[in-house]
Amino acid sequence: MLKSFWLVAAAAALAVGVTASEVGAQAASSAPSATAERLQIETRYYTLPNGLKVVMSREPSVPTATVGVYYGIGFRIEPRDRTGFAHLFEHLMFQGSENAPKGTFIGSINSAGGTLNGSTRFDYTNYFEVVPSNALEQVLWLEADRMARPVIDQEVLANQQGVVANEVKVNVLNQPYGGWPWLDMPQLANENWHNAHNFYGELDDLEAATVDDATQFFESFYRPNNAVLVVAGDIDYDVTQAMIERYFGPIPRGEPVVLPDISEPRQDAEKFATKPDVLAPRPAFSAAWHVPERGTPEWFAMGLLDSILVQGQDSRLYDKLVRETGIAGGVQGGINSGLGNMFNYNGPMLWTVGFVHDPDKSRDEITAALDAVIEDVRSNPVSEEELARARTKMRSSLYNLADPTTRFGLVDLLAVGALWEDDPNWVNTLEAGFERVTPELVLATAREYLRPTNRSILVVQPSAAQTAGTGDAQ
Amino acid sequence: MIRPLISLLAAVGLAASPVVAQAPEYPSMPPVGTPKPFTLPAAESYTLDNGMQVTLLRYGNVPKAFVGLRVYVGNLNEGGDVWLPDLVGQLLREGAGNRSATEIAEAAAEMGGGLGTSVGVHETVVNLPVLSEFAAEAIPLVADVARRPTFPQSELERVRANLQRNLAVAKTQPQTAAEVALAAAYYGTDHPYGRVLPTDSQLAGYTIDDIRRFHRENFGAARAQLYVAGQFEPAEVKAAIEQAFADWEPGPERLSLPAEPRPGPRVLLVDRPGAPQSTIRIAFPAPVIGTEDDLGFRVTNALLGGAFNSRITQNIREEKGYTYSPGSGIGFNPNEARWTFNADVTTAVTGPAIKEVIGEIARLQSEPPSAEEAAGMRTYLAGIFVLQNASANGLIGSLATRDFHGLPASWLEAFVPGVLAVTPAQMQSLAREWMPLDKATVVVVGDLDTVEAQIRELPELEGMPIERVDPFAVK
Repeated sequence: MLKSFWLVAAAAALAVGVTASEVGAQAASSAPSATAERLQIETRYYTLPNGLKVVMSREPSVPTATVGVYYGIGFRIEPRDRTGFAHLFEHLMFQGSENAPKGTFIGSINSAGGTLNGSTRFDYTNYFEVVPSNALEQVLWLEADRMARPVIDQEVLANQQGVVANEVKVNVLNQPYGGWPWLDMPQLANENWHNAHNFYGELDDLEAATVDDATQFFESFYRPNNAVLVVAGDIDYDVTQAMIERYFGPIPRGEPVVLPDISEPRQDAEKFATKPDVLAPRPAFSAAWHVPERGTPEWFAMGLLDSILVQGQDSRLYDKLVRETGIAGGVQGGINSGLGNMFNYNGPMLWTVGFVHDPDKSRDEITAALDAVIEDVRSNPVSEEELARARTKMRSSLYNLADPTTRFGLVDLLAVGALWEDDPNWVNTLEAGFERVTPELVLATAREYLRPTNRSILVVQPSAAQTAGTGDAQ
Repeated sequence: MIRPLISLLAAVGLAASPVVAQAPEYPSMPPVGTPKPFTLPAAESYTLDNGMQVTLLRYGNVPKAFVGLRVYVGNLNEGGDVWLPDLVGQLLREGAGNRSATEIAEAAAEMGGGLGTSVGVHETVVNLPVLSEFAAEAIPLVADVARRPTFPQSELERVRANLQRNLAVAKTQPQTAAEVALAAAYYGTDHPYGRVLPTDSQLAGYTIDDIRRFHRENFGAARAQLYVAGQFEPAEVKAAIEQAFADWEPGPERLSLPAEPRPGPRVLLVDRPGAPQSTIRIAFPAPVIGTEDDLGFRVTNALLGGAFNSRITQNIREEKGYTYSPGSGIGFNPNEARWTFNADVTTAVTGPAIKEVIGEIARLQSEPPSAEEAAGMRTYLAGIFVLQNASANGLIGSLATRDFHGLPASWLEAFVPGVLAVTPAQMQSLAREWMPLDKATVVVVGDLDTVEAQIRELPELEGMPIERVDPFAVK
C-alpha cells in the first residue's frame, strides 16, 4: 500500500504515470537504476481571488498531512529601530486569534496527535504543522483564523518579549560561540542595512516593540496576497481545495507589498573582523563569500562547488583542514548556512565556512591552507569524476525531501517555488540545473565569486579567564 | 530562530466541540475525525552463525537504503578509561581494510552517502545511507570499518586534539555542566553513567596500543546488530551480508553493568558568574522500559513537560515568559530510567521557575487531569508514534530500541493501544509514585551570587541538602 510517485524514472514516466503506480516494498526490487531517476513531485497549484497561492501535493503512504503557511516577509525587512521584530512577530502569531484564544492553536494540534513550529528566515516567515490526516480541516481552520484575525495585545506582547529574550540568551548570550558565524557574518560581509543588521534583535529594540508596531507589520506583510499555503501528504485534492476556499477564501486582500532595495554592491576588498568571546575556550575562524544570483547557471555551479569544497568528509576543505593540516576537527559551512539552505532565500547571500581551532595554529597558517584549496578551484577545472560525485551527493540529499516523516523540507521547497518563481514545480527542475553545470562553468564561477576581494574573514578570540561553571581556562 | 518554537495553553478536547467565541461570519471549529489505521510493515530478522543479528526492512517511498551497524560497545565498556571508546569510534573512519580515510569518504560519497561513526554509552554505530542501487555495495564498506580498522598511528594525535578541543568547548556550555553534575551525583562516579567527561590527562594518555586493544577485546559479531532499511534488493543485500560478516569472530558477549541510581534529596549548585540565565535540571527515577508503568509514565511526562502544550511549558513560558525552551523527557537504560526536566531561565526568576515546576508536579499529584486533557496527551503520543515510524530510518530506530532492551517483537504493535489505555487516575498515581518531591535531585548552573539566595528561600526545597559543586574538578 505504499504508493510512490515522488520519484519516477524519466524514461518510464509516461508509462508509469505520476500518481497511481503501486510501487512499494514489494516492487522496490524493480526500481529502475537511479541514473534514470529524477526528483518528481506531483503538485496541484492555483491562486485564490484574494491572492493566496495554494500548493497541494498528494502522497498518501502515511496517514498524515502537512500544512505550511509561508509569508513573504523575512528578517531582512523590519523597521530599523526594531531589530528582531520579524522574529518577535513570528512568536506573536502563536498567541491566539479571534475564534481560537491563546493556547487553542497549539493545544489543538498536539491533542490531535500532531506537532508544529514556526521560523523566521531571510526572506520568509513560515508556520507549519504535521497532523494525522483526519485533523487536516481543523488545522486549516486554525491557520485561516490567525491569518485573518490574530489577537495581539499588550499582554501577549509582553509575554513573548520575555520568551524571545530568553531565546536570545540560551542560543547566543550564554553560549560559547553564540551567534557565530550565522548571526555575526552577515553583519560583517554585507553593506546594505537590510542584510547587515542583527536579525535576532538587540534586547533594547525587542523591549521597545509596541502593539501598534505589530498591527502595522501585520497589515503590511501578513496578507493572503503575500502568502503561500502548502498542503501535502494524505489528502484528497478536491476535498482539500473546498476546505481551503471555505476558510481562506473570505480573507480580504491587502495592499500590494512593496519591498525595499536589498541589493548588495559588488565587494572589491577583503574584510576582516575579530569577535571577542568571553565564553569561548578556543579561537575560531570563518570566511564568507557573496554567491551568484539565485537561479542562474553560476548559482547551480556554486551549489556544486559547495558540495565539492565543504560538504562531507570527501570534501576538499575537510581533506585539507582536517586530515592534512590538522587545523580543525571538522568544517561547517554552506550557502545560507545556519539559517537555511541554498534554495530557500531570495536576495543577496553568502557562502560561509567555519571551524574552531587550537591557538597554536596561526591565522597565516590557516589562511594559507584555505587559499591553497580555494585557489586550486579558481585555477584548475574540476574533474568530471569529482563533479559527478558532487551531483550524486546533491541528488541523494534532494531525495531525502520525499521522506514522509514530517514533509517539512518538501513543503519548504514547494513554498519557495510558489513564492518567488510562481511555480511550485521549480523543485522538479533543480536536478536538471545541476546536470547542466560543466567544469568550465565551475572554474569561471570560482574565479569570480571565490576572489579574495569578495571574501570576509571573521575570527573569534577567547577574551577572558574562565571559572568553574564556564569551563576550563586553556 | 529555527529552533523549536514552543508554546501552549489550555488544551482543547479531541472530539468535544471547543468553547470559543465565534465571529458570526466564520464557521465554528471543525471536529477532528477518526484517525486512519497506521500499520507497521513486517521486518525480516535472522541470525548469522556467528551470532550477529540482521534485520531487513523494506519500507519507504524514497530510493535510498540505510545501512546501520550497531555494536554493543560504548562507554559502558571503558572501565576507567573515559572516552577511550570515543577515540576508537573516531579512528574507525581513519582507515579500514585496504582503504585510507579519504578513500572511505569518497567511496561513501559516490554511493550518495556519508559514512558516520558515533559512540554512545552503550553502542558504537556505523551508519551509511546510500542510494538504493548501492545498498549491497555499502555492506562491505561498513564491515571493513567495524571489523578491520587500521588505526594508523599517524592520525592519532590529530584526532586526539579534536576530542580535546571538543572537551574544552563542552566544558564552557552550561547545559554540559548541568548534565555532568547531575550524572555524577545520580549515578556516582564509580559507574560509567556518572563519568561523562575525561580529565585532560586521561585523554592525553591513550596510546594506539590502548585503542587497538580496546577494539580487539570488545568488537565482535556476538555484540553486533545490522539493520538495512529502505528500498533495496534483498537477495543481493543478504548475500553481501553473508560475505562481509559470516567470518567475523563472535567475540565476547554483551556486557551487563547495571547502575545503582542514588536519588535525592539533593540540590547541586554550579557557579557561572555573570550568567544571564540559570540552567536547571530536576530528576527522578522513572519506570524501566517495557515494565508495567512505562507507557503510563510517558503520558504523564507529556502532560507535565514533554509536549508543546504541557503544563510546565504553559506555565513558565506562555504565562510567565521565564524561559524559551523548557521540556522534560525520560532516558532509558537497560535496568533503570530517569525522568529529567530541563530549562534555561532568566537569572532573576530562577527560584520562582523552580517553584512553579515543583508546583505543577504537586498539582498533578493532588488531582487527576480532566478527561479531555488526558485524552489529548494520549492522542499526542499516538500521533508522534506515527511520525517517528513513518520512514525507513525512523522505524529502524524504533526496532533498534526494542532490540537493545530485549523487548518482545510485539512491543511496537502494543505501544499505541497501551498509550491509549492510560487513565487520568493512573497519571495522578504515577506522578505520586515516581516523583516523590522530597527525593528530587535538583541542579542549577547560574550566577550563584544572585541565584543561591533565591533557591535557599524556596519552601519547596526546605530540608534538602544544598551544596556547591564544580562538575569539572579533577579529583
